[in-house]
Amino acid sequence: MGLKSIFIAIVAVFAIGMGAWLSYQLAVPPAVPRTATVLPATAGLPDFALSDQHGNRISRDAFVGRWSLVFFGFTHCPDICPLTLQVLANARQKLGDAGHIPLPQIVLVSVDPERDTPEILGEYLDYFGNDILGLSGNIEELRKLTSALGIFFEKSFTDDGDYSMNHSAVVLVFNPRAEFHALFSAPHVVDNFIHDLPLIMSGS
Amino acid sequence: MMRALLPALLAVAVAACSVDSAPLLASDVAIVKPLPGTQIGAAYLALTNATGQQITITKIASPQFAAVAMHESILEHGVSRMVALQELDIAAQQTVVFERGGRHLMLMRPVGALDNVTLQFFADEALLLTIDAASAD
Repeated sequence: MGLKSIFIAIVAVFAIGMGAWLSYQLAVPPAVPRTATVLPATAGLPDFALSDQHGNRISRDAFVGRWSLVFFGFTHCPDICPLTLQVLANARQKLGDAGHIPLPQIVLVSVDPERDTPEILGEYLDYFGNDILGLSGNIEELRKLTSALGIFFEKSFTDDGDYSMNHSAVVLVFNPRAEFHALFSAPHVVDNFIHDLPLIMSGS
Repeated sequence: MMRALLPALLAVAVAACSVDSAPLLASDVAIVKPLPGTQIGAAYLALTNATGQQITITKIASPQFAAVAMHESILEHGVSRMVALQELDIAAQQTVVFERGGRHLMLMRPVGALDNVTLQFFADEALLLTIDAASAD
C-alpha cells in the first residue's frame, strides 16, 4: 500500500467520523429543563426592605451576584413548607456533591411576618442547614415583593381562632442580576431541581 | 339514629375485641417533632378499618400536645392551602393514608417530652385506637 493510499484511508476515516459526529449533534436535541419554566423575558426585582434571620436589613442587593431559589412560606406550616425546604436543601447538597459550582442560595420569604420574627426564622432555618436566607418584616414591604412577582398569600382562620396561611407554592429562580429568571411549579421533587438547575444556570 | 348509636356500638365492639381484632389498625407511623422555633409537629400514618362497617374518626388526642387536628394540604392553581378535616370516614376494610403533602395530623403546642408520642383516635367518645411511637426530628 502506497503513501497515497494510506493518506486517502486516513482522510476517509476522518470524514466518516466527522459525519457520524455531525449526525449525532443534529439528531440529539439540546438538553432543556424538564419541569422548570424559563421566562421568555426576565423581570427585575423591585426595591424592598426586609430583615433576615439575624436582624440585618435586606434589599434586592442580597440577590445580586449569585443564583437564588426563592420560596414563600411560613414556619407554622407543618407539611408543605418544611417539605419544600428539605427538597431544596437536598437538591443543593446533591448538586454540590456532583461538583456543580456555584450553588444557588436558598431563600425563604415568610408570608407570616406577624409570627415569623427573625429569631424564630433563625431557629427554624438552622434545621435545614447553612446558607439559607430567611426574610421577614413589614407587611407593606413584603407586598412590594409579592405583588411584583405574582405571589399570592392570605390568612385562613381556623375554628379555634388560630390561623394558617394559604400561599403560592412555586419556587422562583433569580439570576445573579437579581432578575426573576425561571420557576418550578409544585409539587417539588429533588430530581427535577438536579436536572434543570444546571441547565438554567448555564443559560439553556 | 344509626349515627348516634355507632359510637356506642363501636365501643362495645372494641371492648369485645382482643388486640388482634382491633377495629382500627395503624401502620407506617411517623411522628415529626415541631421544628426549632415552632410549636407544630406532624404525624403521618396509614389507618385501616378492619371492621365491616364505616368508621368515622371525630377526634384525635395526645397527652404530649395541647391539640391534635386532622388537616389536608391541597395544591390548587399553584396555591397551597391547608384544610381542616372535622371528621374522617374510613369505609369498611379500607385504608386511609396520611402522607407528606396530603392528609396529615397537626400536633399543636407540645406540653411535655416528645421522645415518644401517644395518639388516641376516637369515634365521638369511643376510643378506637391508641398508638405509641418514637418521634423523629
